Amino acid sequence: MKIALLGNPGVGKSLIFNQLTGLGVEVNKYPGSTVTLECGNVCYKKEKIELIDLPGVYSLDGNSEEEVLVRRFLEKKGADIIIAVLDATKLERNLYLLAQVAEYSQPMIALVNRIDDAESEGLVIDTGRLAEIIGIDVLPTAASLGKNIDRILPLALSSARQPVLFIPYDHHVEAATRTLEKTMGTPRYKNLLALQEEGDELALRDAASSIAAEIKQRHRMSVSQIIATNRHNFARTVAEEVVKKSPEKRQFDLDRVLTRAFPGIPLLCLILFSLLLAVFVIGSAMEAFIVQTFTAYIINPFMTLTISPLFQRLGFSVLVALEAGLGIAFPFVFTFYVGLSILEDTGYMTRAAFLADRAMHRIGLHGEALIPMVIGFGCTVPAVLSLRILKTRREQTIAAFLITMVPCSARTVVIAGIVAAFVGIFWAFSIYLIVFILIILTAVVLSRMTPGDQFGMIVEMSPLKMPRARFVLQKSWLRIKEFLFIAMPLLIATSIVLGLFQYFGMIDAFQQAVAPITVSLLGLPAYASTALLFGIFRKELAFETLAVLAGTADLGVVMTSVQLYTFALVSVLFIPCISTIAVLYRQMGAKITFLASLYTVLLGMMIGVLINILMK
Amino acid sequence: MLPSLREDYLEAILLYTSRHLTPPSYHDVVIALRLPEPDVSAHLAELAAAGDLTISGTGAIVLSQTGQETGQRVIKKHETLQCFLTEILGMDSSSASNEACRIEHAVSDETIDRLGNYLRAPPLQEGKPGNHPENAVYHSSCIQNDTDGISLTLADCEEGDRVFVRSISGRSCAKRLLDLGVVPGQPVSIKRKLSNRSLVVQVKACDVALSPEIASAIFVEHR
Repeated sequence: MKIALLGNPGVGKSLIFNQLTGLGVEVNKYPGSTVTLECGNVCYKKEKIELIDLPGVYSLDGNSEEEVLVRRFLEKKGADIIIAVLDATKLERNLYLLAQVAEYSQPMIALVNRIDDAESEGLVIDTGRLAEIIGIDVLPTAASLGKNIDRILPLALSSARQPVLFIPYDHHVEAATRTLEKTMGTPRYKNLLALQEEGDELALRDAASSIAAEIKQRHRMSVSQIIATNRHNFARTVAEEVVKKSPEKRQFDLDRVLTRAFPGIPLLCLILFSLLLAVFVIGSAMEAFIVQTFTAYIINPFMTLTISPLFQRLGFSVLVALEAGLGIAFPFVFTFYVGLSILEDTGYMTRAAFLADRAMHRIGLHGEALIPMVIGFGCTVPAVLSLRILKTRREQTIAAFLITMVPCSARTVVIAGIVAAFVGIFWAFSIYLIVFILIILTAVVLSRMTPGDQFGMIVEMSPLKMPRARFVLQKSWLRIKEFLFIAMPLLIATSIVLGLFQYFGMIDAFQQAVAPITVSLLGLPAYASTALLFGIFRKELAFETLAVLAGTADLGVVMTSVQLYTFALVSVLFIPCISTIAVLYRQMGAKITFLASLYTVLLGMMIGVLINILMK
Repeated sequence: MLPSLREDYLEAILLYTSRHLTPPSYHDVVIALRLPEPDVSAHLAELAAAGDLTISGTGAIVLSQTGQETGQRVIKKHETLQCFLTEILGMDSSSASNEACRIEHAVSDETIDRLGNYLRAPPLQEGKPGNHPENAVYHSSCIQNDTDGISLTLADCEEGDRVFVRSISGRSCAKRLLDLGVVPGQPVSIKRKLSNRSLVVQVKACDVALSPEIASAIFVEHR
């Protein structure tokens, strides 16, 4: 038995999903797509039920990856029962999606979630009447309070049925769907889709296109617009029937402060800066503790074992990788994800995007691009994956370059571990400053060079609310799990490969080959090149390898401040890590990946040489 | 009496009344309809009996409420059809009028309404947004350029304004806007406007942030 949750973004779908499944969630990639589907198993009355959390969409007719995925999911009858989650405070807009889902005639029930918020806004929703109109059972829920959550599955299993909705489409559109039904033998929902130039069946789209052109000519508006208007009108009629609004209670609207240019923008800078500072401070402290403990209790005892040198080398590689992974995952990435989840759950992220719109336009992007960039401070991999929220290739290209330059958690480790520890905390911040300036310069140049159209931001502002610790931690945990399962195996594998290289002496050969560059141009010790090379695998490995090769953790003794500073700056800028390269390749293609990698290598070298010349 | 004949009578009497500002006499009706006198008097008696009109002591023929309404509807149909036949199909005006006289009795009210809407909307190729707010749902083109000076876009509005969407230009962004409820006829209030003309607007109880270039592709009007 498969049950899928479907709804607009931000209706509390994931919250319901998490409450139904607990933490036993697996994240699946949908075939041929970068959108993730969350699946979880629940046992109900000795029956195994697979729950699927579909990505939030506004419509089923669009061509964004999420919309296409949900549409195909419905077409293939991916679930036995659909649970449509509606937002009680925005019922009208949510009914628009429900109207579309209903056309797929699959057994379903509807939840009117956030009923508590609706009540506090003075909205009374007659769910009984709604159930009568749409012909399926409707359950009011309040996921954040856990209200009625236990009744969802029993209701879905006992009384899911096909909705009975009649949406009065314009008669030309109706006639066209009937014509297509007769000539092509396709169901109504497919015909409506084809008339809007969407859908997978090319023959149908061909047949529909001439009719669509005729309708467009006659109505002087596109078929999408006609159909959307009809559906919205339907949704409005239904909403007017079931929603009673009592006079609004006057509440202080925080947006009066948050979205104004002043004090909104200074506040935004302050919030982002505190987030980074918190990650930096908390992360460094926790990391030192984890690394010390791990070295003292696991690595050192292991090294005293008497086994063959090869196995010792391999074992050491695995342990170092584990140590590095844990040392970065929990202190830095997890701390960052907690902060990010708070920003998202309070609804502040969308305000940040709005405020950043102006500045982002200067660099050829728009407000929405702020979100991948901020995510990039945690880890570049999810940031690259989130690029798809940008709608044009041009924006994605510019943002992809910038994201690879944003100092992620691993780079924070390098900055904290080398510069803050041995050179000084202000020098550490100067690295951030240099990187930000380089990002802005790169963006300005790229926005002039990248072909394609500029496209603006259309973002729904999520409602402001107090974040709840449990949900924030749950969300952060899901994210860090993704990080652990993607990054950790890669980390261990690369560490083993490098261990073998070192064992067979290949590293030394490399070191000698690039020594002229490292020593004369960058003014670094020859072994630094190996450390930089390790940085390709994971950024923080650059730091750890350096310590290993230098033969001491007290780097201040073996290298000068300028050398340490140069090394840190170069490894921060130098080529994205291998996981980033992999997702970048999948998301953006070989050309952009190659160019971004080449660019960061050249930029890193150039800045390194410059610092070496200037500071010597 | 055939319904079409009744409609012809009522139309003719109403036209006469509105042109001469006095009700017609028996003779005026005979002239207007070009029918034999005895028939006319019989028909008028029949119409009076049916309650469509009254014949006063001075011989003036005055339409009742129902008679007037029917007459007005027929005249509207006639005018709309004649306009369509001459303006769009290019017929000469006298044959168009004759043709309209015959079609007007059979055509439904809905057809006439839609035909009227069609005629009032500006031609597609000129690319102007529809000028009739009540018909906005049917008459704005989705692809158009802002060529006339009167078009107000969302980006021109001020904080606190409440406006109605007339049309959306540009193809690519239109879909997301449609899904969020930005469709012709939809009321939109501006909640926040920054100096670069980025907006937060409220549509269907949801706040939506828009970049300036998106906002300036949405044509709106005050009502």
